[in-house]
Amino acid sequence: MKRTVIPIGPFHPIQEEPEFFQLTVEGETVVDVDVRISYNHRGIERLCQDLTYDQIPFLLARICGICSASHPMAFCQAVEDLCYTEVPLRGRYLRAIICELERIHSHLLWVGLAGHFIGYNTVFMWAWKYREPVLDLCERFLGNRNHYENFCVGGCRRDIPPEAIPEIHKVMAELDTHLDMLTKAVLDDPVLKVRLGGVGILTEEEARRWCATGPTARGSNVAIDVRRDEPYSIYDLIDWDVQVRPEGDVFAKTVVRLLEIIDAVKIIRQCLDQIEPGDIRAEVRDIPEGEGIGHAEAPRGETFHYVCSDGTNYPLRYKVRAPTYVNLPSFKASVVGQELADAMLTVAAMDPCYSCTERVAVVRKRRHGKKEILDQKTLLQMSREKTERIKRSI
Amino acid sequence: MEVDELLQDLEKRLESFGISIFCRSPKRIYVDVPPQYSREVNRIMFEEFECRLATATGMDTSSRIEVLYHYCLDSSGIVVTIRTWAQKPDYTLESVATVFPGANFIEREIQDLLGVRFQHHPDPRRLILADNWPEGVYPLRRDYPARKQRKETPEFLRELTEEVTTP
Repeated sequence: MKRTVIPIGPFHPIQEEPEFFQLTVEGETVVDVDVRISYNHRGIERLCQDLTYDQIPFLLARICGICSASHPMAFCQAVEDLCYTEVPLRGRYLRAIICELERIHSHLLWVGLAGHFIGYNTVFMWAWKYREPVLDLCERFLGNRNHYENFCVGGCRRDIPPEAIPEIHKVMAELDTHLDMLTKAVLDDPVLKVRLGGVGILTEEEARRWCATGPTARGSNVAIDVRRDEPYSIYDLIDWDVQVRPEGDVFAKTVVRLLEIIDAVKIIRQCLDQIEPGDIRAEVRDIPEGEGIGHAEAPRGETFHYVCSDGTNYPLRYKVRAPTYVNLPSFKASVVGQELADAMLTVAAMDPCYSCTERVAVVRKRRHGKKEILDQKTLLQMSREKTERIKRSI
Repeated sequence: MEVDELLQDLEKRLESFGISIFCRSPKRIYVDVPPQYSREVNRIMFEEFECRLATATGMDTSSRIEVLYHYCLDSSGIVVTIRTWAQKPDYTLESVATVFPGANFIEREIQDLLGVRFQHHPDPRRLILADNWPEGVYPLRRDYPARKQRKETPEFLRELTEEVTTP
């Protein structure tokens, strides 16, 4: 039987991915889930086929408001793979610095939202407060808080001025003390441990079967990270670790992300110490016929880009795979058997955009037989009430 | 695993499937597989070589529709692309989503955008296109009116817009 599904909740054009989840529940336990995506399909792959290789990175920065560096990065790598271009060393360092700044502000955004979902608004305010100086840094030296437009095929478009290096060092030093405090506060909090531990478990086997990537996979003991597995940019010249946790629950994913922010600060510091003057861009004259694949580790996981060229200035076929596209279906494996109050948190732990969670229709199987629509307010309320219950019992 | 070693392993294991292997660079391997062996080769890649399916790309080359399954070998950073194709007139391929669920979404997407039928797919509903999108119109096919050539909205799209806006 065809089930009609109506997207509910305010439509947020500023959010990148409106999704629809239809949860089937028995009592308070989720027994089945159906995920529908593509309410806001923008046809970017097709649009790119009408754009030149120089124009495409600007459109790709608009795929996601947060990963505005990772997508152009993967595209540039795909085209560089296609025409066997080597990016100059300074250009590679610059790319890594930008990508890690992006990782810091993206993960801090997530930590804040996760805190907000479970009723920890202090965490929300702290995390977003610490995020601001990073965004200001981006605005000052890259021209914009989010859309930097600094990547092009062959390297980077703009260099950072010499005075940027001490300035970034200063912000990183301040961030370090704040992060230290934030990480300790989150990891040592007994309520958070109980509230997030054991919730939304994605087992290692399921993570592999659903081909999950990024912190979603790394929180489930799958040690994959494109930065280490196929070192692009300068990640092979830098000392850093792949953060892996075996538990697979929301707490594990939180820990992975927090430790990744600390690692990102470490990477930026080393880049700033090692970066030397030089060219930032290799000249690419002709795009030959052939195929190229580029992938990069975005904050949410691997972005994967494929380019097929027929030798003209426009790609013949261009394919983008964003990390949420593979992480989202794994929600089915992690949410079944969970309490309804945890469903929102489980999906938030994958770090999709939060407008997804505003579009949840709940089919209450036993009680009414008809559909009941829960909006974000009710879901937030349920999630927070559970936190309160745990607080009281400890 | 180094790329030479992997190439040897692939050649040895996939010998009987009539494949041809092309190594474009030390990190990129392309394997052409005839459609009748597509599911079996994909199963071998996922289960025996323990690859992760990054995604699949569908491409209309006028004479046929190619489907490229991109596998990441995370232990060595090599990307192996399994290229198979669906032929006119019915464009059918055996579904890989029956082997592992990670291929579910992408096969539905290719089905929507290019009209490749994935047989035995566990959940062959639409994914990308709207429910009221006309049957048999595939936006990524070569014969779909290109944006730059299009002077006015095609007939079916005009109908679609009217249908959506009518209260």
